Amino acid sequence: MELPAGCGKFSREALELAAIARSDRSVPVDERLAPHLVICRRCSEAVERFAADNAFLGEFAKVSARSDRSASGRSVAERGAAAGPADGSAAAGGGDLIPGYRLGDEIHRGGQGAVFKAEQLATRRACAVKMLLGGRFASATQRVRFEREVEVVAALRHPSIVTLYESGISRHGEPWFAMELVDGERLDEHVRRLGLGARAVAALLQRVADAIAYAHRRGVIHRDLKPGNILVDRDGVPRVLDFGLARAERPDEQTNPGSGTTLAGEFLGTFAYAAPEQLAGDPAAIDSRCDLYALGVVFYECLTGKRPFDGAKSIGELVIQKTMRTPERPSALAPGIDRDFDVIALRLLASDPSQRYETADALAEDLARSLDGRPILAREDSLTYVVRRNLRRHWIATTAGVVVLATIVVSGIALAVLYANAESARERAEHQLDAVLAALEQSNPETGRGTSDMRATEFIGYVEASLEEALADDPADLARLLRTMGLIHLGFEKIDQAAAPIERSYALYKEAFARGEIDALRMADAAYALARLRFIQPAGEAKAADYPASEAAYREAIALRESVTGRDDLVTVDLIRQLSIVIRRQKRLEEARGMLDEALLRASRLPATRQREEFDAAALSARGFITAELGDHEQALAEFIAANAAISRVVEPNDFRVGISLRNIAREKLSLGRAESARADAERSVEILRERKGADAPATRAAEALLDEIKSALAKGGREVESAGEVESAGAAGSAGAR
Amino acid sequence: MDLDRTTTALLTGLLDPANAAAWELFDRRYRSILVGFARNCGLKDNDAAEIAQATIVRFVEEYREGRYDRTRGRLGAWLVTIARYRMLDMRRRAGTARVERGESAMIDLDDEKSVSEVYEAERRRAVLAAALDELKTRSRTDPKTVQAFEMLVYHGLSVAVVAQELGMSAHDVYLAKSRVAAKLREIVIRLEEEYEEAPGDWESTGKRPSAGLGP
Repeated sequence: MELPAGCGKFSREALELAAIARSDRSVPVDERLAPHLVICRRCSEAVERFAADNAFLGEFAKVSARSDRSASGRSVAERGAAAGPADGSAAAGGGDLIPGYRLGDEIHRGGQGAVFKAEQLATRRACAVKMLLGGRFASATQRVRFEREVEVVAALRHPSIVTLYESGISRHGEPWFAMELVDGERLDEHVRRLGLGARAVAALLQRVADAIAYAHRRGVIHRDLKPGNILVDRDGVPRVLDFGLARAERPDEQTNPGSGTTLAGEFLGTFAYAAPEQLAGDPAAIDSRCDLYALGVVFYECLTGKRPFDGAKSIGELVIQKTMRTPERPSALAPGIDRDFDVIALRLLASDPSQRYETADALAEDLARSLDGRPILAREDSLTYVVRRNLRRHWIATTAGVVVLATIVVSGIALAVLYANAESARERAEHQLDAVLAALEQSNPETGRGTSDMRATEFIGYVEASLEEALADDPADLARLLRTMGLIHLGFEKIDQAAAPIERSYALYKEAFARGEIDALRMADAAYALARLRFIQPAGEAKAADYPASEAAYREAIALRESVTGRDDLVTVDLIRQLSIVIRRQKRLEEARGMLDEALLRASRLPATRQREEFDAAALSARGFITAELGDHEQALAEFIAANAAISRVVEPNDFRVGISLRNIAREKLSLGRAESARADAERSVEILRERKGADAPATRAAEALLDEIKSALAKGGREVESAGEVESAGAAGSAGAR
Repeated sequence: MDLDRTTTALLTGLLDPANAAAWELFDRRYRSILVGFARNCGLKDNDAAEIAQATIVRFVEEYREGRYDRTRGRLGAWLVTIARYRMLDMRRRAGTARVERGESAMIDLDDEKSVSEVYEAERRRAVLAAALDELKTRSRTDPKTVQAFEMLVYHGLSVAVVAQELGMSAHDVYLAKSRVAAKLREIVIRLEEEYEEAPGDWESTGKRPSAGLGP
């Protein structure tokens, strides 16, 4: 293409230098060239062209210096629409994928990026290059995160922290950075391979704690500590790497969480190692103690070979399991572990950050003390307290986790709608939605394992608001979510909050059903929610529940279900049971009893599952109320005791339904003048309902009133007392109705 | 229709909510420009990312609703208008706090001309980056030639060092540089046209954005 530049009298280099000298006077120019250029047109044109090239190429140099050191070889489109990760072979094949580096084998691949062995060409030194794989939707956020990562890691110098050399970002969201190459293995693999004992593990953890303490003192939280981020090198020194989620603790981000890289609800860490407050996604709540929690999980895992909360098959399940269970003492899993290590591990794993070590320094100190045989500072007697606090906070953490999941799903759905892309994305979003709904139902004290807690309901309000916004264009999904939310509010007996979402979802369902977009079963779900709402919602001037409206909605739900399932369906049968309660409240006692007997008969033809036991218990209770109202207290008591036995067979001893059935037993005993015996039942009932329903719930207050009545009856010497007013929930066996 | 070729084709593709390729390309092409642009207007990184996202979302809405006003000028001007309002909004919300914290003042967002200049610079940068990418992946330029160019231009290495490193003669290194410069020029001229078209080109498609095409 090009001929030798100029006329040939001067070298190409001389002409290039002359061109460069136009913009850079420090460049030496052959003295004889200047006069030559005056007379030689070919040479002067060559210099002009080189100068123009230099100016043009100089623009590219600026591009690269600014942010594009990588200029990765492949475009997003070439990688495929799903923005799947770059595959190792391509990266390894392209020696110039990152200017100045020769990439070798892939060392590791994680959710955030891939790490390659590499050689820095200029220095010939071996290093590791991490490429952050840009997701299609999250690329801007991930890019910001990456820049933060670089900023943070570059500032740290510690023997147990991996050093950062250099970094760059490509415009396609494939930033990279070069760091020290550590020849080592993951902490957990190291421990397993060498079969290290508890003391050796503690010694390693002490060095890690030192490194983390160093970072914390510089305002850096790692936020993603896990065994994969701690390598043990050939000298046996643990090295912490991958400050990918680290965030400098800066005052402006504390006061302005919206500007932080971790937005509210956006959860980044690895679930298994994340502290409960990280699960809540509230940036203000995240501080250095998150790292201590993660170290606790790492310590526990290295000591026992198991994570403290394990066995989940999905993220949702993990969140639930992790937060609902208390970890066993490490020594219970791996005998022979020093009791001090139990105390240290469980203290790190406290759900409440204030119950953990104050600083990583304090942790390092205690580890050193235990290794030296000195008494540790975390006192033994605090252990019970830590465990108790854990139990107390499980529920809050669970709800928070649910919120996080919901937020993830909401944004997923919103993006799927916005981008209206492939069916598969849509399906994925729906799967996630199912998972979150299931998790949310776990939050309902009537269907799951929740207890009443104001913070939980606040969280749910937050989820509700976000979902409403995200699903404005998607009435069917919105209706489904609103219905679930409403039922959860009902479960907490927060009727005011429940009314709007349930009524709205019913209207939305009705429209969708008329359009043929949903089937009769889903329409029945909506009618059922409305029926339950009307049953307990005070309305009109009398502030009494609108039983006729509730009855109509139940009848609608039952008819809809029977049109699909026929007569032998437990959910439908349970709806009939619930309807009988509405009928009884309207004083049509015989009609209600006939309805219940019919429901019990239909249920008896179905297999004896746990759900059926639950139904039997609820139906026997309902029958007990009618019998009592008809004046036969002896028979009513027998029915309540049968109900209690049935429900106790299938639920935990402190299930709220056990509490309610005990209350029913106590009331009948009182009616029969057996106050002494009634008292024990009532006390247990109050205890359970306070825990599961909350002190303010009507069910709890009714039990307390009954207990007071029993006490005053006892004080008056067992004089017969009139029956206390009954309070019960129509959806007592709610799980059978809500599907 | 070759999406990569023209902005017109790209915009037409965006009318179809199911046209994933158009979305992919639009996002790829303009997001990074918008982020860099907002950053150069004085925003912090995360705020810049937020502005870019909001601008793209808003663009989609306006575009699908057929609210593209041709008198506003070219596509870039349209994006700048959206982004500028978003930034003014953000400044209103956080402005006082910024001043109190003594952070560097933002560029004068009320000055449309200088805001446009910032965008223009960022767009140029994106064009150059895309040109580089094309050079390396699709131009069939000899990888060694590209590597020589990178070492010279990116790393500021001397011709002698590059020649030694790559086992080439100094003359070949210079030749490589000339070739790359010529090739890049050609690509840049074409990309400049692709990234920005005059609004008049719209009419040739015979298709106007209409409302109600949401997903």
